[in-house]
Amino acid sequence: MTKLPHTVSRSVLLDAPAERVWEAVTDESALAEWLAPEVELEPHEGGEIVCRYEDGEERRGQVELVEEAERLAFQWRRQGAEPSRVELVLDSVAERTILTVTETAGPSACVAPRLGALRALLRGRLVLA
Amino acid sequence: MASPGLPTPPPGLGDARVGAVFGALADPTRRHLIEALAHEPGATATGLAAELPISRQAVAKHLQLLGRAGLVRSRRSGREARFELEAGALTEAAAWIGAVGAEWDDRLGRLQRLL
Repeated sequence: MTKLPHTVSRSVLLDAPAERVWEAVTDESALAEWLAPEVELEPHEGGEIVCRYEDGEERRGQVELVEEAERLAFQWRRQGAEPSRVELVLDSVAERTILTVTETAGPSACVAPRLGALRALLRGRLVLA
Repeated sequence: MASPGLPTPPPGLGDARVGAVFGALADPTRRHLIEALAHEPGATATGLAAELPISRQAVAKHLQLLGRAGLVRSRRSGREARFELEAGALTEAAAWIGAVGAEWDDRLGRLQRLL
């Protein structure tokens, strides 16, 4: 039987401009205020992400995509569990920001990185050798 | 003053959530078939087509696609195959969706209060 892709999406309107939201989403001490009790993050492609919880649980993964003040994507996994992909997208609305988070596990989690590269190409940021 | 969050789909296997989560269920006809099978396990393609404005052949194609996605299974019984939901797949997916959704609700709530 094929394993089903699971995906969860949430959007929230934040009362702060994109630059402040970006900081809250990439700065380790800010992340420790909302993402997990302890966070280590190297906010560049290939960088590591580690989240630690009070019960000792850890999630580890790798940063996939960083588009300043626009998009952050990383993969992570609990010990012994399947990896999933998390993408945070920032959309400016005047002085406020809509943050959309999508977490995907299963087969489609592998497709998404290619979409990221395609999007970067369309924006002229990826040069084909 | 805190800004309200945008409306998000309710948790659980509501119609909108199933479509969003499973690519195979992006089609409303297929979602209808899943609902119908939930109420009537063991239905045939002919029986299911009777409730829809599409042919038995079209229903059979949809059921085949759902079968490949692991959502529906079939068994031979008499002249026609009978179809049932793969409850395990849906339950597991629903549990993951529920848990992960709740985690993000907590996190985004804290982020909203922070900013």
